[in-house]
Amino acid sequence: MTRKRFVILSLVPAIGLLATLAVVSIAGAVWFALMNRTLRSPDYDFVGAYNFLRLLRDHRFFNALEISAIWELVTVTGTLVVAVLLAVLIFETVKKPLWRNLISFAFLVPVLLPRVAAAFIWRFLYSPSLGAINYLLSLVGIGPVEFLADPSLALVSVAIVDIWQWGLFFTVILLKLMETLPRDPIEAAKLDNARTWEIHAYITLPMLKGPLISLALVKAVESLRSFDLIFVMTGGGPGTATETLDLYAYQMGINMGGRISYASAMSILLLIVTTVAFTIIWKAGKKWAN
Amino acid sequence: MGKLISTTLTRALLGLLIIVALGPILWTVLGAFKELRDIVTPVPKLIFEPTLDNFATILRNPTIRDGLLHSVIVVSASVLVGAVLGIPAAHTLARHARRWGDDVQFFVLSLRFMPPVAIAIPFIVIYLDLGIYDTLFGLILVYLITTISTVIWLAVPAFERVPHDIEEAAAMEGCGPAEVFWRFSLPLAAPSLFGALVFTFVLVWNELLLALTLAAQNATLPVVAASITSLGKEVPWGVINAATVLLVLPPLVFIGLLMGLLNTMVRSGPK
Repeated sequence: MTRKRFVILSLVPAIGLLATLAVVSIAGAVWFALMNRTLRSPDYDFVGAYNFLRLLRDHRFFNALEISAIWELVTVTGTLVVAVLLAVLIFETVKKPLWRNLISFAFLVPVLLPRVAAAFIWRFLYSPSLGAINYLLSLVGIGPVEFLADPSLALVSVAIVDIWQWGLFFTVILLKLMETLPRDPIEAAKLDNARTWEIHAYITLPMLKGPLISLALVKAVESLRSFDLIFVMTGGGPGTATETLDLYAYQMGINMGGRISYASAMSILLLIVTTVAFTIIWKAGKKWAN
Repeated sequence: MGKLISTTLTRALLGLLIIVALGPILWTVLGAFKELRDIVTPVPKLIFEPTLDNFATILRNPTIRDGLLHSVIVVSASVLVGAVLGIPAAHTLARHARRWGDDVQFFVLSLRFMPPVAIAIPFIVIYLDLGIYDTLFGLILVYLITTISTVIWLAVPAFERVPHDIEEAAAMEGCGPAEVFWRFSLPLAAPSLFGALVFTFVLVWNELLLALTLAAQNATLPVVAASITSLGKEVPWGVINAATVLLVLPPLVFIGLLMGLLNTMVRSGPK
């Protein structure tokens, strides 16, 4: 078999299938967004930009946009802050490899859990009447707190679960990255009587700038897949306090009368916003890392 | 003395962190073995008479059993096809594609940026029109987007780590590119590739949104588990906990492997 034939045979099926599925779903979304198709009836007409114009007057859509933006901001910063703090703490206080490995194993467990399972575990913990967290709070005289039913707390309560899963996971990655760093600059700083936090703030963390940016990007992409967690924990409620764009699109497209075209218009906008945002962040991140 | 206090404090803090990481899961496992009256107590019970009723309930429930079966079929088929198509493609991208390889890799990676809703909504109509809505085949097909792209994404670095010399020596001996791939690169990269497949497996096993939208009777385990709360008036927490344990077990089996994958990825140098 010649080299060229091998290249074609190995690449074309995989990339061809991926490209077909991607094109079908994007073209399908654009096509349906320009129609007035619903799941109830098979008939539909061309309505042009009608769905997009209606979105611009939809308060619930803008609410979902805002919730999504808050969700991204809270989960990405929360995850990175937790990961940096804990990685530095473990790097400084746990010196035995065995203990480091044990802690790493423990910290890897939450991220492996299916989102549905994590959602149930925390719904159980958050429960006002029988949850362990409210029991602990009641010991110090607080509560019961309605973590998931209070509109001002619900989004943060769900975000904590996300940070629990990803912050601990990123802690392990950062810890492993810190172990690969050269020791010399750190030793030199120690000789200069630098404080521990100074060493990390001015030496180790700047050396890890590139990986930190990559991790932030990975988390930002991952946070877009928040549907599973929010759907099981609150279903978007109370009211629309935790309704992100993907939840609203799902409710519109499937639950409430199956307004496929309207939901398609929404997912097209979501696709454009994320593509533009990530391209900008990607390029800025590359420039900044260099 | 001050040092003693500070080490004790850090140890306590680290212990607390491990409790935060594992406690919620262990609490759920405990709950899975409790009768409902041991769960709905004002003071959480650590000591109780364990029961297997919850597991018996979920394993006897035909919906949950079907969900488990569908999950196994859909996940193994999509990971298998993803591996068969993705691994050779990754090898070619790592070895034979210098100029346009990066563009193809970026395209593959950009699929991960796509919001799942943007896939689910058009596919539900297309599937209804084609008559493959609510079929396992339809689910496997959309999961291929995830499995093929993830396998390629993780397998390209695995093949890049295979020493050039070995492949070149094999080519000098007259091995064709397919033979070099099959007899040399594949066995050498196998440990990392296995980790990549496990990671892919966990991603698809955990998926909810696509299964929820594209299937009804033939849904997977996460969908079935997510719908348990709506069985009857009283929330069956024991049963929910048992279903959660069932859902959690397969990914956790592979935790050691993932740790290994993480180590090699970090060691090979962050880009």
